[in-house]
Amino acid sequence: MTSIAEGLFKSLPKPKYTGEEEELPQHGPRGPRIVGPGQLDDTQIVLRRTGPPPYGNRAGWRPRAPEDFGDGGAFPEILVAQYPLDMGRKGTQSKSNALAVQVDAEGKVKFDAIARRGHSDDRIVHASFKDLIPLRQRVDMGEISLDRPSEEEVETQMEKTKNALASLVSGAAAAQKPKNVKGASRADPTFVRYTPANQMGDTSRKNDRIMKIVERQQDPMEPPKFKHKKIPRGPPSPPPPIMHSPPRKLTAEDQEAWKIPPPVSNWKNPKGYTVPLDKRLAADGRGLQDVSINDKFAQFAEALFTADRHAREEVRLRAQMQQRLAEKEKAQKEDNLRALAQKAREERTGGRRDSRASRSPSRSRSRSSSAASARSRTPDDEEEGARERDRIRRERRQDAERQLRQSRMGTERRIQTMAREQNRDISEKVALGLAKPTQSSETMWDSRLFNQSSGMSTGFNEDNPYDKPLFAAQDAINSIYRPRAQADFDDEADAEGEMSKLEKSSRFEVLGKAKEGFRGAADAEERSGPVQFEKDTADPFGIDSMIADVTGSGDGGGGGAGQKRYGIQEADTENRGSKRARVAEDD
Amino acid sequence: MDVIPSTTPDEAVRRSAKRTAELFGAEYLMVTPSVANGSIGVSYRRKAEYEDVKTLPPVLAEKQAQAAAARSKRPKINPQPQGEGSGDRSGASTALVRRGGPPGAGGVAGEDKPKSLIQRPSATRQQPPDWHAPWKLMRVISGHLGWVRSLAVEPNNEWFASGAGDRTIKIWNLATGALRLTLTGHISTVRGLAVSPRHPYLFSCGEDKMVKCWDLETNKVIRHYHGHLSGVYTLALHPRLDLLVTGGRDGVARVWDMRTRSNVHVLSGHSGTVADLKCQEADPQVITGSLDSTVRLWDLAAGKSMGVLTHHKKGVRALATHPREFTFASASTGSIKQWKCPGGEFMQNFEGHNAVINTLSVNEDNVLFSGGDNGSMSFWDWKTGHRFQSFDTMAQPGSLEAEAGIMASTFDRTGLRLITGEADKTIKVWKQDDEATPETHPVTWAPTLGRQRY
Repeated sequence: MTSIAEGLFKSLPKPKYTGEEEELPQHGPRGPRIVGPGQLDDTQIVLRRTGPPPYGNRAGWRPRAPEDFGDGGAFPEILVAQYPLDMGRKGTQSKSNALAVQVDAEGKVKFDAIARRGHSDDRIVHASFKDLIPLRQRVDMGEISLDRPSEEEVETQMEKTKNALASLVSGAAAAQKPKNVKGASRADPTFVRYTPANQMGDTSRKNDRIMKIVERQQDPMEPPKFKHKKIPRGPPSPPPPIMHSPPRKLTAEDQEAWKIPPPVSNWKNPKGYTVPLDKRLAADGRGLQDVSINDKFAQFAEALFTADRHAREEVRLRAQMQQRLAEKEKAQKEDNLRALAQKAREERTGGRRDSRASRSPSRSRSRSSSAASARSRTPDDEEEGARERDRIRRERRQDAERQLRQSRMGTERRIQTMAREQNRDISEKVALGLAKPTQSSETMWDSRLFNQSSGMSTGFNEDNPYDKPLFAAQDAINSIYRPRAQADFDDEADAEGEMSKLEKSSRFEVLGKAKEGFRGAADAEERSGPVQFEKDTADPFGIDSMIADVTGSGDGGGGGAGQKRYGIQEADTENRGSKRARVAEDD
Repeated sequence: MDVIPSTTPDEAVRRSAKRTAELFGAEYLMVTPSVANGSIGVSYRRKAEYEDVKTLPPVLAEKQAQAAAARSKRPKINPQPQGEGSGDRSGASTALVRRGGPPGAGGVAGEDKPKSLIQRPSATRQQPPDWHAPWKLMRVISGHLGWVRSLAVEPNNEWFASGAGDRTIKIWNLATGALRLTLTGHISTVRGLAVSPRHPYLFSCGEDKMVKCWDLETNKVIRHYHGHLSGVYTLALHPRLDLLVTGGRDGVARVWDMRTRSNVHVLSGHSGTVADLKCQEADPQVITGSLDSTVRLWDLAAGKSMGVLTHHKKGVRALATHPREFTFASASTGSIKQWKCPGGEFMQNFEGHNAVINTLSVNEDNVLFSGGDNGSMSFWDWKTGHRFQSFDTMAQPGSLEAEAGIMASTFDRTGLRLITGEADKTIKVWKQDDEATPETHPVTWAPTLGRQRY
């Protein structure tokens, strides 16, 4: 195509008009042609006609205006530069973004014009197929110089760049200098002499005034008045021509390679719920694999076990053997000794007790020795020995008795005796288990800590930080009645002593007729345990009825007082109850 | 057609034969006409078409010889004359087996000769590559606790700096590989380093959006260049002016005045991360490669882009400017391209490195190194694009197989050492094999005759 055009251009004569240097006459209104009378018949009518003249009448006609083309293209037979639709006309702003076809010096269409649009002329645009071919393989390439630019060139470029950047930098730096801060410097005031003009025929002389014009003080810290507005981006410059082939279509294989399976969680099922632990363990296949232990472990353990047993057996046998040997040796030695002793005795007695010497040697040595010593005693000694044995027997019996007694004793008694035996003096209270150390398990805890949730009302009181009296336990101990754990029948002496002591002491003399007992005391049967009380249902003081009165009659005159008395009354009843109990205890 | 001046027919025939030989090769139509077996045509066809099957393949020949020996014992059958050609012999296989071509001739000789009447223009004749000594590992420096992402060699060639994912910059003795200094201050991976040849400054940039200027006399940060909106991935110093150019994930390259710290230009135009950036003293003074798969050449004075190179199909991760030639190379995944500088004309492809290429370096001896994300390393001849060596780096013991990856590379000032920063947290130093000669390591190069796509 291009070659044909080239040939055509070569065959044609050089064009008379290139259109480049042509000065277009500036007409006023274009478009309608004024057709002269010669062209029209006889009428004097001036006819406006648009569009090109008919064929045959085009001599000397040049299409200039867009109307001359009549929506069509250029007229190839008219050899002037033509700009249909104003395409390609220089110096005019056309609204159309269509580009005129441009050709280069060889008449080839410059297709890269569209890529250069909006760029400067020195823009590097690679748009042709030629630019895809390596430089050395291009046909028209001559010698390629790959040298770096010369020093002069570099110098000039550096100078240019430096100047360009220096202005930018200085501008940026100047903006930051304090001298340029707004309102820091003020212009000097100017003075203006003002002479009022004659107005409305007023010709009287007027004083001319001198005015001082001062720039208004500006606040240097005042924020800027204008608001920064975002300006939408202008139309982009045309994109560069793409010089590579379009991406390959994704093959099925590639697609397969990119398929990433979704993660499967062991902990959550697809709905997001937690998988139960047992299912999870079942699913991960841990239990599916049989744990197979090698047989040789068992064999090994067996072998170890038998070896161990064997060794133990051997050791045992050896020990037995050694023991037997030792025994034998010992027996032999004993026999030897005995024989020696026998011999010595025989020598000493001189054969007096031949018959006794013929005892069996199998008796134990101690027995024989004691027998020998007993035999050698005098009758006096024998008596002494009998007494000694009696004494020992007695001691044993006493011991046994005491132990029996102790076993039958009550706890506190036993502890007492034990303490006495060990020379430790334990007070009565301790022996009774009544001595409360200050740090008992109960008082270790501040009870206020326990129901904090229920607040101040339950126990915690700011005025009285102690929730219990300090020696309450002591009082209680002192006042409490404790029966002796089942009267001590066993040690008669002790009981008798106590009884006599009681009888002697006149504890109840203060009450007068204590000896005779209280009234009605004789009627009461003998009591075997602690005093038992009956609930006093009677109302001796009429208190209950009074309460009933007060509460039942509603808020009368003394309602508040009645309620107040109620609290006291309760305390009173308690006190009385305890008093009564104490009295009863004294009984 | 030039007119042959009328001479004697002898001379004319000779000239014609010579010309034919020139055009179509020496063997064309050069048949010795054997008069014994009929016409010239038959003889020519025998020569041209059955030359390969004139003698049997050795296996068949042996078999045939055995058969012939067996047959010769029997008096009845007399052997046929051998001159008839072995193809129609009844005892042997009747299939015609082509003999292998003459060794060393390749596909050029015989009937494989191109049938086209026009020759390729001489410009396409491929230039044989220069010989380069192969490279081998010299030293492994293990001191960083993260990927070594950036390297820079000092102008005096005494030490080099490395920046890594452990947020430190370490300075190493180039000769001994000993650690000299550790600079801390970045709060994320250090992605770019540069040592100024004209100031005692070291510049560093990182994924923490910070660009720092370290004074190497006090080893302290003396300036920050604040302005990037996202991680800063690369930086370069202008060789003549006091300018610093940085580029990063916000897709712009920023030009900073070194002293005043002011942002002179914002070179915007890329639509993706600026992955690499080079600066040189002549236009285009700034070259940026971006993950939007374009390379842009920038007019530094105007702050505009001079041109866009859109030849790459994937993101351009590495650039390298040649120290002496006015050319540069750019690498994207699987392709490396070489460009001529002022206009960005495409010069050639470096073909064969099929990996994500993270880094490129060139030295003055025209050796181009490309390091891949999977640990593959390739060494190329800059002039011809021939790959003379390629191998995989080995991850240091104790690291995963996946940690073999070249993240950064640089040649030292002499070009005799290659320093690579790797994903196995080491720095490796490579050198040329001293014993290698062109004889021990010959260039294995064959010109490609096939049509090439670019």
